Amino acid sequence: MTKNWIDELRTIVGPRNVITGSESLAWESDGLSLVRGMGQAIVLPLDTEETVLVMKLLAREGVPVVPRGAGTGLTGGATPVEGGVTVGTARMREIFSIDPVGRLAHVQAGVVNSDLSVAARPHGLFYAPDPSSQAACTLGGNVANNSGGPHCFMHGSTTRHVRGVKLVDAQGQVLDLLASPADPEGLDLVGLITGSEGMFGMVTEVQLNLEPLPEEVQTIIAVFPSLDAACDCVSEAIAAHIEASAIEILDKLTIAAVEDSIFAAGYPREAEALLLVEAEGGALEVQETIDLVLQLAKKHGAMEIRSAQDKAERARLWAGRKGAFGAMGRVAPDLYVADVVAPRTRLREIVALAIKIAEERNLRLGNVFHAGDGNLHPNIAYDRRDEDEVRRVLEAGQLIMEACIERGGSLTGEHGVGVEKMTHMCDLFDDDDLNTMHRVRDALDPKRRMNPTKVLPLRACREVRNGGLPFSPMGNLGAKT
Amino acid sequence: MSSAIRSLPLDYDLTLDCIHCGLCLNSCPTYRQSGRESEGPRGRIHLMRALAEGRLEADQDCVEALDSCLVCRNCETVCPAGVQFGALMESARDHLPAPGLLARGLRWFGFRLVLPHRRVLGFLAGAVRLTQLLRLPQAIAPLLGQRGIALAHLPVFPEANKRRNLPPICPSTSERTEAVGMLEGCVQRQLYGDVNRATVAVLNACGADVHTPQDHACCGALHAHNGDLDEARRLAQKTIQAFEDMGGEPDMRIVLNSAGCGAHMAEYPRLFAEDPLWLPRADAFAQRVIDFSAFVAQAERAERLKKQLAPLAPRKVAWDDPCHLCHGQGITAEPRALLDLIPGIERVEMPGAGSCCGSAGIHALLYPAESNQLLDAKLEEFTSSEADVLITANPGCQMQWHGGFSRTGKATRPQHLAEILAASLAQGPQVVSKAKPPKKG
Repeated sequence: MTKNWIDELRTIVGPRNVITGSESLAWESDGLSLVRGMGQAIVLPLDTEETVLVMKLLAREGVPVVPRGAGTGLTGGATPVEGGVTVGTARMREIFSIDPVGRLAHVQAGVVNSDLSVAARPHGLFYAPDPSSQAACTLGGNVANNSGGPHCFMHGSTTRHVRGVKLVDAQGQVLDLLASPADPEGLDLVGLITGSEGMFGMVTEVQLNLEPLPEEVQTIIAVFPSLDAACDCVSEAIAAHIEASAIEILDKLTIAAVEDSIFAAGYPREAEALLLVEAEGGALEVQETIDLVLQLAKKHGAMEIRSAQDKAERARLWAGRKGAFGAMGRVAPDLYVADVVAPRTRLREIVALAIKIAEERNLRLGNVFHAGDGNLHPNIAYDRRDEDEVRRVLEAGQLIMEACIERGGSLTGEHGVGVEKMTHMCDLFDDDDLNTMHRVRDALDPKRRMNPTKVLPLRACREVRNGGLPFSPMGNLGAKT
Repeated sequence: MSSAIRSLPLDYDLTLDCIHCGLCLNSCPTYRQSGRESEGPRGRIHLMRALAEGRLEADQDCVEALDSCLVCRNCETVCPAGVQFGALMESARDHLPAPGLLARGLRWFGFRLVLPHRRVLGFLAGAVRLTQLLRLPQAIAPLLGQRGIALAHLPVFPEANKRRNLPPICPSTSERTEAVGMLEGCVQRQLYGDVNRATVAVLNACGADVHTPQDHACCGALHAHNGDLDEARRLAQKTIQAFEDMGGEPDMRIVLNSAGCGAHMAEYPRLFAEDPLWLPRADAFAQRVIDFSAFVAQAERAERLKKQLAPLAPRKVAWDDPCHLCHGQGITAEPRALLDLIPGIERVEMPGAGSCCGSAGIHALLYPAESNQLLDAKLEEFTSSEADVLITANPGCQMQWHGGFSRTGKATRPQHLAEILAASLAQGPQVVSKAKPPKKG
């Protein structure tokens, strides 16, 4: 029986843009393929006006809402929830305006991250946050997750670049926070919404800062005989106040996967670890930064150092880095991309620990990470059809996360909390903290219909801690095929 | 897991290469068009995996999601995991029903009864030409909606003498250095015989004798792309046989001027993965297959050709990459390099040159509205590139662009790369076989 309100949705957005058939299965997960769910429908509105009507209708019916961008998130933030409706921004692809003087872009939430930089380039501008999925992920999704990327080492993550948003809240009311020319007066609600993982409403429009294209860019790779040496080199560079724009490390397994792929970048396969550093700015300061990196790399035993000769080679070096996650598909059918933060002085220790944890569980681990930020991505290749392997992967992920938190790090660098890390919020926050977060949420969405069962654990932390993994939605869903 | 659902025996292992990263999404024309995950590469792979696992029933909705794919293989060009999407989709479609009457009719009538047979093709081309001269398509177009518009703007099939066979051997027109085989094709020969003759002229000028098998029609690419692998195998065998029987050196290159056929023929071995008898022959054959532009752009041949090219009237040309050339065969630099050899003309780039024009085999017939929408975006790019002539290298793309130009009232007509090269040759003094630019209307 078709529900009446679903027909009403069809009237609002057109029948093609409400999906309830068997093909809905294509939406059952996002980039975290381990966690899956099925809701009642997927709706793809075209703009803010349609979103308002959709959200009002869903509010009337009391249906939970899961916002979704391109579904490239890695923590299950866009996994459908039972009985809910997924509202996607995939049709909202219009760039309204680019103001080259005010360096401001006004876009719909479904515009793809890299498309904005392409559109801004003729004006000598670009959009700085560059998640590795930037060729596919949407700017609305970036706002929801406060996404990072390699160059956020210099430029800061999404929240530094969002000037305004238009949000449709759970009741279908528009909260218009599009930028006033100067700092917002009163409360910084835009700051609150950025990184809220779809719990405060649907962001339908975004205003973003654009940066001038740098005068000079230099990219180098340094080959190290061990991961330890590469990590130490980065820790010392940070201590020396290095002003690079991106500092990345790739390990041997990752290099092999990339070099086997169409994104083969010419990374030396014999390298145990590869340091990829970019500097941008005026010619002089770029040279100073690069000189410092060269000096430190040599000191830490780099065997080979190479500098990108031209734009094309630089693009190849980065395409390889950004394709690394997908390239791991050559190693196994699934990949668990952990996203943790370690204090940058303890990189070596945490990376070594992650390797040990994976080895003990007979797992294949590839490391590729934003070393400059201390944002680690231990990537574990696995096959979700192997239940025991899934269990070991989740266990390893949890141990790595706990180790980071113990040492003063954090449980997420840029991927968000989503479903994956919800119960681990209790490792970082106590009941008071979480209650405060719930109160903020209740102020915007009193019925808790927006992206429910994610980010904030509903049980008291005491219970979660006593219960351990069995409460984790990851633990339950992992085994389901 | 329901046991009532029959799991499909499609190539399951290929689905496991996808790690669900989503980097393919924005490269997919149908995903960009509809925003539907089920109409993007990742979603389609996910559905195919679920079909193979028996988690999903192949009902109408699911079949449509898979059938609406252009198989342009743009996703393969951006996939870091190296998913063989084209192969996977062919394998899936082979086990799925055609989604509608028209598709079913085309598979049965067009693919089985027409394409493989030269005489039927020839007869039908003549018949269609007659209706076109009587302007029948224009008369019935209003009854057929979007499809009618496409029909009314098809290029007119040329008169019979332009649809005749190439001679078995066309000798080199400069110092003879080698011999090559060439496939005339099915649609290509009937609709774009001039393209074949231009191809021969260019190859001859490079020093190659051109051999063509005389009783061969279709390579089976359309069959493979549209879920008829049995017939595709049969036609592949006939093709391999025809070129083996043609004589000449056993490793003589086989030059293809149609990107779709070339990409498919280079992948013949895949069709015979489980056939020990045919696999070695298919392997040997695939080694011989080479695209026209890749063949001619090779340094010595290009050098020789260059000396014979004479200036054309100044004009701007835009190269539009056929999907099965740039994504299917990874060839993008060679055709551009060849265009740059022609004196007098200026080559301009369209930013979306590597994105599908919407022709995509029979997609334009099955999904005319979506197909026209893809083409409209390309037409806009062509206009803003300020090019005078569009150059491509696949009969489907040429038909699609022809229809677009005609529909929007533009005087220009698309040309094959070989045609503009041959036109430049024809300006020079030493050319024997003359290729006229195509006359269409």
